[in-house]
Amino acid sequence: MALVGPSGAGKSTLLGLVNGSVPPTAGTVEVLGTDPTTLRGRSQRELRARVGTVHQHLELVGQLRVVHNVNAGRLSHWPAWRAAWSLVRPQGLPEVLAALEQVGLADRVFERTERLSGGQRQRVALARLLVKQPELVLADEPASALDPVLAERALALLAGLAADRGGALVASLHDPALALRHCTRVVGLVEGRVVLDAPAAALTVGDLADFYGAPR
Amino acid sequence: MTVVLDRPQAPPRLNRVRRRWAWGLGALAVLGWSLAGAGAFAGDVVNPAGAGQFGRFASAALSPALDGEFLRVLADSVLVTVAYAALGAALAVLLGAVGAVAVARTTWGRRRLGWTLSRGALAVPRGLHEAVWGLLLVNLLGLDPWVGVLAIGVPYGAVTAKVFADLLDEVPRGGYEALLAGGAGRVPAALYGLLPPASGGLLSYSFYRLECAVRSAVVLGLIGAGGLGYQLLLSFSSLRWEQVWSCVYALALLCLLADVGGRAVRRRVAAPRSSGDRLRRDPMLSTAVLGTLAAIVWAWWYLAISPATLVADRTGEQLRYVLSAAWPPDVDGPLLSAVAVAAVDTLQMSVIAIAVATAGAVLLAGVAAHPPRDAPVLRRVTGSAVRLALLLLRAVPPPVWALVLLFVLLPGVLPGALALGVYTLGVLGRLAAEATEELDPRPRAALTAMGARPVGGWLYGVLPAATGPVLAFALYRWEVAIRDTVLVGLLGAGGLGALLASRVSAFDWGAVTTVLVAVIALTAAVDLVSARARAALR
Repeated sequence: MALVGPSGAGKSTLLGLVNGSVPPTAGTVEVLGTDPTTLRGRSQRELRARVGTVHQHLELVGQLRVVHNVNAGRLSHWPAWRAAWSLVRPQGLPEVLAALEQVGLADRVFERTERLSGGQRQRVALARLLVKQPELVLADEPASALDPVLAERALALLAGLAADRGGALVASLHDPALALRHCTRVVGLVEGRVVLDAPAAALTVGDLADFYGAPR
Repeated sequence: MTVVLDRPQAPPRLNRVRRRWAWGLGALAVLGWSLAGAGAFAGDVVNPAGAGQFGRFASAALSPALDGEFLRVLADSVLVTVAYAALGAALAVLLGAVGAVAVARTTWGRRRLGWTLSRGALAVPRGLHEAVWGLLLVNLLGLDPWVGVLAIGVPYGAVTAKVFADLLDEVPRGGYEALLAGGAGRVPAALYGLLPPASGGLLSYSFYRLECAVRSAVVLGLIGAGGLGYQLLLSFSSLRWEQVWSCVYALALLCLLADVGGRAVRRRVAAPRSSGDRLRRDPMLSTAVLGTLAAIVWAWWYLAISPATLVADRTGEQLRYVLSAAWPPDVDGPLLSAVAVAAVDTLQMSVIAIAVATAGAVLLAGVAAHPPRDAPVLRRVTGSAVRLALLLLRAVPPPVWALVLLFVLLPGVLPGALALGVYTLGVLGRLAAEATEELDPRPRAALTAMGARPVGGWLYGVLPAATGPVLAFALYRWEVAIRDTVLVGLLGAGGLGALLASRVSAFDWGAVTTVLVAVIALTAAVDLVSARARAALR
């Protein structure tokens, strides 16, 4: 599913509501069959372990090596001692390398993350989701800093990841062509309200460009 | 789509940064050596017989002495301390302003030798603790209020001169050079092109020095200059724990007021209000500056200071006598080996102190940081409690902590080291909490949203980003701790300070010179190592 809308329309807020980082001020939210606002402690973590979010690489810790930033996706499965030990001796290296291989960064696995470019960091954030294996994938502008070829690849990976576990991908996108190629349903938001909800097949690139108010 | 790149067949290897690892392992080795030297592994360090006394001391915390007579005495001591702090800081800023011109790169230009020599000359007053200055000055001037003022003013003046000079040197040169090129003299050009951009920093730093002077005035009281520190020690040695706690609370309140006031001024300097089209001064800054000036005049009157003491014949004679007796320094074998042993003790004390403080600060930083607005009540209450505890830790001077620890520990290097560690924890804990507050919250929020446990989120989202700044603060505090170790020693915890106190009271001025040289050399060496380690961290 693609979320489209002008800047400030509420796309990121909607994604935040779904992953539980933004509490709703009114109404209820249902995620994977439960209301995240009613959960606390362990059951809350269990739900969050099934949902994976990728932001525009702002969630990475620059001082950590790439391998640890990718492994951070497994913190919901690891006991605390293993998380701590992994900072000394990286754990589960084969999976990390496989994930980085898919985004084309396997040779930078031990680089400090702050040394990478914006596009490379965005791909590290993708690799974090690949090792996490969530059922529901939330993506906030996952392709904004990537060139067209890498953007295609990134969305294909995210869509495949969600499909593998029988779940869904919700991505906010600003490139209409990308939205139509990789998503089956398009939801448009303006000032926090849904103004468009249609199957992708019924829309054209032109319709979406109109929606953004951009010249054709 | 196929992206074909020739990648290495084997996965890349994990290369540790050798320099950092070398520093880390070296630090652990030095810590182990220090603990062994302090006798931490040698069995008996705890004195179980003192537990009862410690219990009485601790329980008095809830019932501080509040009778009218003692409160009057306490109020008098507070005024004396404030008066010393105000005059000492004023002298420091005055000396700093004059000294800054003498050591600024701007003054020396390309004459590097002169610049290096003038900077080196500052290391001598800077390397000696205020209490050491106090001890030396008491022997020159006798029991005169000038001792307290000069003991704060001289070392602070040297630090202030260095910082003021750095602030002036860091101002972008464009405006100043344009004025020079336009034919202005060097002094007017500096007044128009250098001073205005630096003035905010200069004012901020002056107020920061005033805050520090309050603490130093308390410490000087401990060696007899009067005021709160003196009262604290009197109550302590007569075992009146209720009075001790009243003093401690008064100290904490005074430090808190100095902190809050100083920080308010500095914040206002950093973000000035717009004044529009009229010439208007910031009322708060004007009040602060005028109030401080008034306090200085009042302090002069209150302490009944007279410049006549400084130029009296007796002072001159005493100075000539001490200087002639102090040179040449003693270099006989027994003294040198005693100095070497004491220097090792001092170094080990400072290392243990900073290790204790750093470990505590790392553990407490997360709790002590101001929580977000929507945090649960329990979190906010524990946060306030920890911040209050840290304030108490740093309000009480380290020698008093050493006396408290002597209830439960056997005498030796360890109580002194732990006392200094506890005090430094008060300072470092606050710095670490502030560093944590300034971190980007998004990485940790993202980890929590993905279901990480609190420990995991802390390990991956906070620790890596906070390590650098906290270690840098710890190394900087190590430089301060090595100076404070001498202070703790002066009051009996061993090391170079104890040696110095015994030589001064024996009027053995040749040996005093030797010990002072050792103190300055040790502090300079620690400064150097700390600067190198911080460079490796960056």
